[in-house]
Amino acid sequence: MWPYYSKKCLSTIRTMAPRTYLLALISLGVLCGCSSTSRIEPYKQTDAVLGEDERIVILPRRHHASHEAEESFVDCVSDGLARGDEGLGVHISTAFEDRLYPWFEPSTAPLSIDDFSELMKNPNIHEQVRLSKVRFIVWLDGSTDRIASGGAISCAASPYGAGCMGLAWWEDDARYDATVWDVLNLSSAGTIYADYNGRSAMPALVIPIPLVVRPQALACRGLTEQLKQFLTTPDGYEPGPELSAN
Amino acid sequence: MQLMQIRAYWRQVRLLLVILTSYLLGGCAPVILVSTEFPRPLVEPLPIRMGVLLDEELLTYEYEERIPQQATYIIQIGNANASMMNQLFQPMFAAVEPVNELPLTEIDSSRIDGVLNPELDRYEFDVPIGQSDEFVEVWMQYLLRLYEPNGELITEWPVSGYGKAELMRTADRTNAIGRATVLAMREVGAVIATRFAEQPEVEYWLQER
Repeated sequence: MWPYYSKKCLSTIRTMAPRTYLLALISLGVLCGCSSTSRIEPYKQTDAVLGEDERIVILPRRHHASHEAEESFVDCVSDGLARGDEGLGVHISTAFEDRLYPWFEPSTAPLSIDDFSELMKNPNIHEQVRLSKVRFIVWLDGSTDRIASGGAISCAASPYGAGCMGLAWWEDDARYDATVWDVLNLSSAGTIYADYNGRSAMPALVIPIPLVVRPQALACRGLTEQLKQFLTTPDGYEPGPELSAN
Repeated sequence: MQLMQIRAYWRQVRLLLVILTSYLLGGCAPVILVSTEFPRPLVEPLPIRMGVLLDEELLTYEYEERIPQQATYIIQIGNANASMMNQLFQPMFAAVEPVNELPLTEIDSSRIDGVLNPELDRYEFDVPIGQSDEFVEVWMQYLLRLYEPNGELITEWPVSGYGKAELMRTADRTNAIGRATVLAMREVGAVIATRFAEQPEVEYWLQER
């Protein structure tokens, strides 16, 4: 559907005058190119909230190499939760992994709350978790992937000048799951699913103009806001899908 | 005529660029010194007095590979090996002593139950060539040998680890290789610390003590 639409748009504007062509290309980029859709599904199973002296830790799921959450995404969510006047107490992920080494490495990390409960029976591990003051462990799973791309831009240079011509577009999808474990009650507190899709475009008439949508940054912002609400609101946290498109 | 001159000029510029690029790529060999503090494993020590034999090859390990269209990478892992092994074995056993050779002398044999000799057997890495790849990957395999004090081999256990690091910027390749190597080494350490006693030959050997 989209490549056909793109070809049709291009064939129409090729017949136009240069100024109209430029306007058409920019408009095409804005109208056809940049768009994003988002979907957040939170589900909270308990009324537990983060206490005053308690912390959370954000850990990436790394037992499957193909789609583990990126370091930059984990840092983005951690920083987002800690930032601001109402920032939460966030334990540094690497420091937590070091403190509990080797029990949170990819091959040894607990995959379920039952595994974690079993791990907590070890008095040394229990003591280290207690000393860390971590109340909730948030496991981030997912990745941002390029799901489609198309179009072409040709550039040429000569002694009299250089320039580019054409239109390129690409579509990225950021899908992440945040699974929250309550360390105190040794239970699963809930999950938040975030799916952000963004279509970017780069029309070029002499100069390429990138019109970029960053779904990973949007997913980070959306997930951080939901997590903040999740960890601080005992009641009135409405589970259910939130759909938006722009 | 003028067009011909421009074409000839452009050919010369192109040739110069190719020579310059080849010279720069050939001449630059990024040296990556893997250096980090490894955490001590949180494990119950086995009631064993273990000797640890770290070969010179392990302590000065250097890996070199030329990646087409990029550069020759030299990765120095010797210091990191020493740091990891020292941190790893101390909490795993009731007592740990460095040893220099096998078989042990009679005096040493009376104090030490067994000797561990780790070797870095294989190291592989993958750096992205295109713009779309965003990760550096490292795969390592160590061979952990357990000997009787008289030099008799009890078991040879291959332990592998995988590490992956995100490229924050295009020029970040060397840092990312270092980070991925550390992750792979941590993984190896985690496997050794948690599964050493579960190896069938080791289990049998421990029961005989």
